[in-house]
Amino acid sequence: VDEVRITNRKSAAITGSARKIKDNAADWHNMMLRWDRLNEDGFMAAASIVNMRRSCSERSAAAQQFFIASTLFLTTAPCVKTSCVTSFLVSRQAAVVTKMDRLMTSQRGVEDLEAFQFGAEGRKTPLFHSWSTREFGEISQVLLDSFRRELLLKQTILQEVAHTVTSDLCMVFLSGWLHQPFIPTQSRLRLEALLLETGHRPL
Amino acid sequence: MSTLAVATLHQALRKSFATLESNQKVWKSVLAECSPLMVSLGNLAEQSRALSNVQISNTPLRVFPDLEERLRFKLLEATDIVLGKLNEKMSSLQSARDAISNQVAAILHLYEQNTHSLDLLAVTERSTTTPSVADMLEWLQDAERHYRQQYPFLSSVLDVYVIFWYFFPLTLVFRFLRRKTLLQTLRADDLSLLESAPQRWNSLESPSAEDHITDTLCKVSFFVESQ
Repeated sequence: VDEVRITNRKSAAITGSARKIKDNAADWHNMMLRWDRLNEDGFMAAASIVNMRRSCSERSAAAQQFFIASTLFLTTAPCVKTSCVTSFLVSRQAAVVTKMDRLMTSQRGVEDLEAFQFGAEGRKTPLFHSWSTREFGEISQVLLDSFRRELLLKQTILQEVAHTVTSDLCMVFLSGWLHQPFIPTQSRLRLEALLLETGHRPL
Repeated sequence: MSTLAVATLHQALRKSFATLESNQKVWKSVLAECSPLMVSLGNLAEQSRALSNVQISNTPLRVFPDLEERLRFKLLEATDIVLGKLNEKMSSLQSARDAISNQVAAILHLYEQNTHSLDLLAVTERSTTTPSVADMLEWLQDAERHYRQQYPFLSSVLDVYVIFWYFFPLTLVFRFLRRKTLLQTLRADDLSLLESAPQRWNSLESPSAEDHITDTLCKVSFFVESQ
């Protein structure tokens, strides 16, 4: 019972910079999960664009041969619809990155406040276990940069995927979408480190 | 003398067939789990080939100069994970094979120990429910041989894959060094080799031999159940 009360009191006692950083860490976690879900859905949509595009080009070749305009329309219509879905998903991913950007701004705010409170050398005792306040910012910056670049990649692929005919390039688009080359595998570890340090995960 | 030896052999045969049956189940289920993994290996090889065929600087992706390197790394990483899983499966197959081999070796040893007290009649005598000792020993040996031969075939597919996959980045380095002629032939070969790994894997699985073992187990089912 004592232990529970202590931990309760401890978490309730977190205010100011520590509270802000801890909440930001939780938000990072949620944002990254949301990103992954959107990415999976986006991949499915992009893959179906590529597949449709492939069968479209076969069928429209046939349609043009026989001057059947309606067939041409019918074959391109689902393509357009899926493109819309994909671009919606990418815009959601862009929204996630915007929120990550906001987390970064708030982190910078915390750092500025600390600089004002404690001067150049920073606070004497760490906010949580061992990290200095600046380290939270560094991790956030690394994560933000990787997601920004990945978003740019997604946006580029989105613009091109429906207009690409070479199957190898389509394959590279899809494989880039799925494997997220700009989000290194260590990102997950960085996030876990952040969650451990801020006490979201038990040590 | 002879009846005692036959009874001992029968007891051991029952145990052997039980081992064979349980390990056949393990073998089948592990093989079934391998198929999707082999398919993902083939997919990854296909993605890798597409990446090699595309000159990124000539595509809209040219704004990402490090894309190829990063994507290749991610593909390698993904392959590593799949290969790790396949390795685990291979060791399950290996232990199933070893369990069968050990059991069959033990029963043959027992038979050899008792040969002096077994005459031809005792070894070949059979009834409607009990096949002869000679037949059953033969079936066990057939089954054992099947698994013993099957395992290295399967693992060789993986070995070839691993070798080519890990040397593939090296061939890219060589290509970079402009030693084109030799390596271009090598490149086309190894990539098709990688992509065809799942098909070769499937072709190595021999359902008819597997069915044969199932048949054997049916033939001895009355015998195994009778105590």
